[in-house]
Amino acid sequence: MFRPPTQVDPKGHGSFVLIWSFAALLPVVGLVLWSVLSMQNFRLVWEPSLQAYYDVLASGRWEVTVRTLRIAAIVTLIEIVLAVPFALWIAKGTRSIAVRTTCLGLLTIPFFLSLASRTIVWRGILGLNGPLNAVLMHLGIVDQPLDWLLFSEFSVVLGLIGPYFPPMVFPLFLAFALIDDEVLEASKDLGAPPSFTFLHVILPLAMPGLGAGIVFTFVPMIGDPVVPALLGGGNVIVLSASVQSLLRILNYTVAAALSVLMLAILVAIIGAAGALSARMARGRLA
Amino acid sequence: MGLNERQMTTEDGSVEAAAPRPARILEVNRLVHTFGDFTALNDVSLSANSREFVTLLGPSGSGKSTLLRILAGLELPTRVDALILDGHDVADVPANRRNVATVFQHYGLFPHLNVLENVEYGLRVRKVAKAERRQRALRMLEQVQLADFAHRNIAKLSGGQKQRVALARSLVLEPVILLLDEPLGALDEKLRIDMQVELLQLQRSLGMTFIYVTHSQEEALTMSDRILLMNQGRIVQEGTPEDMFDRPASRFAASFMGMENMFEAVVAEVGPETITVTADGVTFSGIWAAKGAPAAGDRVCCAFRSEKVRIAGDGAPEPGLNRIEGSLESRIYKGKYLDITYRTAIGPLRMREWDAHAVTDEAVRIEWRASQTILFPANEQ
Repeated sequence: MFRPPTQVDPKGHGSFVLIWSFAALLPVVGLVLWSVLSMQNFRLVWEPSLQAYYDVLASGRWEVTVRTLRIAAIVTLIEIVLAVPFALWIAKGTRSIAVRTTCLGLLTIPFFLSLASRTIVWRGILGLNGPLNAVLMHLGIVDQPLDWLLFSEFSVVLGLIGPYFPPMVFPLFLAFALIDDEVLEASKDLGAPPSFTFLHVILPLAMPGLGAGIVFTFVPMIGDPVVPALLGGGNVIVLSASVQSLLRILNYTVAAALSVLMLAILVAIIGAAGALSARMARGRLA
Repeated sequence: MGLNERQMTTEDGSVEAAAPRPARILEVNRLVHTFGDFTALNDVSLSANSREFVTLLGPSGSGKSTLLRILAGLELPTRVDALILDGHDVADVPANRRNVATVFQHYGLFPHLNVLENVEYGLRVRKVAKAERRQRALRMLEQVQLADFAHRNIAKLSGGQKQRVALARSLVLEPVILLLDEPLGALDEKLRIDMQVELLQLQRSLGMTFIYVTHSQEEALTMSDRILLMNQGRIVQEGTPEDMFDRPASRFAASFMGMENMFEAVVAEVGPETITVTADGVTFSGIWAAKGAPAAGDRVCCAFRSEKVRIAGDGAPEPGLNRIEGSLESRIYKGKYLDITYRTAIGPLRMREWDAHAVTDEAVRIEWRASQTILFPANEQ
């Protein structure tokens, strides 16, 4: 039977849904299930209980959650501040295709090296005997090496900025590039200075890109175990480490409860961000 | 009319005597614009009067859109002696601080705003109070017959409606000049003809100066008070639609204005009104369209329209008619008319026969008026 090439076989939808439910939904369902079971003698028993959730709130795990969210939020904000002008410049500022291609190409370099080997470099730079402290002391800005440069929330934030820059830039670049030049010229022609055009035309139209950028940075950062482990040095416990330690002591239900809480918080944040950006995209808020 | 009323009323509502706009609203002297090595505009001078409909006509790449962008301020000229808009030199003033408005080729509407918000945009930039800008935008939408669509999404509009939103959005700011960049190019033919009439009515009723860019000679002829014909970054000829249609003064102008029959000839005799030329032994008369006057022996170009050619009768030719023998080469049915090509001593000549089902003879004599035959120098483009 003839079928236009763009039309997908309905059987394809079915199998997609099936695969997706097994690969993504089933683990989540399992997680929720585990979190409401109880453990006795390191064994799961089929006895519904909310004990695991009490444990999460009672132990210091709640602080870990808040810290993880705070770090992810701070880094995401920094990424937005850095990536918006950069992506806008690549998409609309430069007319040279060579410059644009080079810049986008350079952004892929972080993917060539493993995250751990890229991150470990910061240790040398930020350490007590590292070049940064040496320069600061040489310039007389400080008399003693700064100890909060490494193994602190500061170093974790700093270390996260690099790896999560490209995932913020790419969707923003795409969103900016999709804005018709004529629309920007029309704004100028109607008397708008660049700042007005940015706030009332560019930003609302780039909202989908900003939303995608936030999802691609904020969400994976929540679960990132590498940077906090290497640059936190045991001082900055984040969620991934907390879950890992729970699993190590075979406390499956609390690990599951912590993950479920995290998932709920993420869904709530993304939902709120989505609703907000949809409103902004209609130009109501800006 | 809404415009003139508002000219006399200032922001706080007090009434002042409206300062009359100078008759000469735009003056451009010796404008040059280059992109790298490419000269887009080469020594262009033009002017426009208040309430005039001026058309920049030319093929793509002739520089007409660049010229419009420079008038809008979207492009700052490489070099210009003077660019005077409404009494002020604005050569270095960017678009957002120039009192002109542009209707873009693809309208450039804001996709995230509805119809009313699009029209309000320029007023919002100017910090006009919400109630007033709403009222002014609605009044302008009424003028373009879109008041019922005020809260419609831009994406849900037809091409013609988008066009009107773009017009309203520009006109609500009461610009000194409205610049239109091939605004009807994206519309289908029927709508284009309706919009031509509507644009013209709008321009007359607002008493505004329009500068209109198009590559369509038909559009230019229908709408303009004055046409500036552009080619390769220069204005090659300017005049009223009648001037441009009947007396193009160069090879480029003649072919662009649709003179299908063109051939070279040598001036035989310069008379008081008509000039006699010979081509391949055949003698014709025509009128001189270019500047200056030719001398006997000059090489000239001779052009006339296919719709002015007809089959000659049997008798002797009347005075003031050019006549030649021809044999049928081809006939092409075009619906409303026939395009017939005859082979003649001076090459193939086209005739437009308005009876689309006319019987065509193999060998005929065709004739056309000397007064409808134009002559201009052969050596110029």
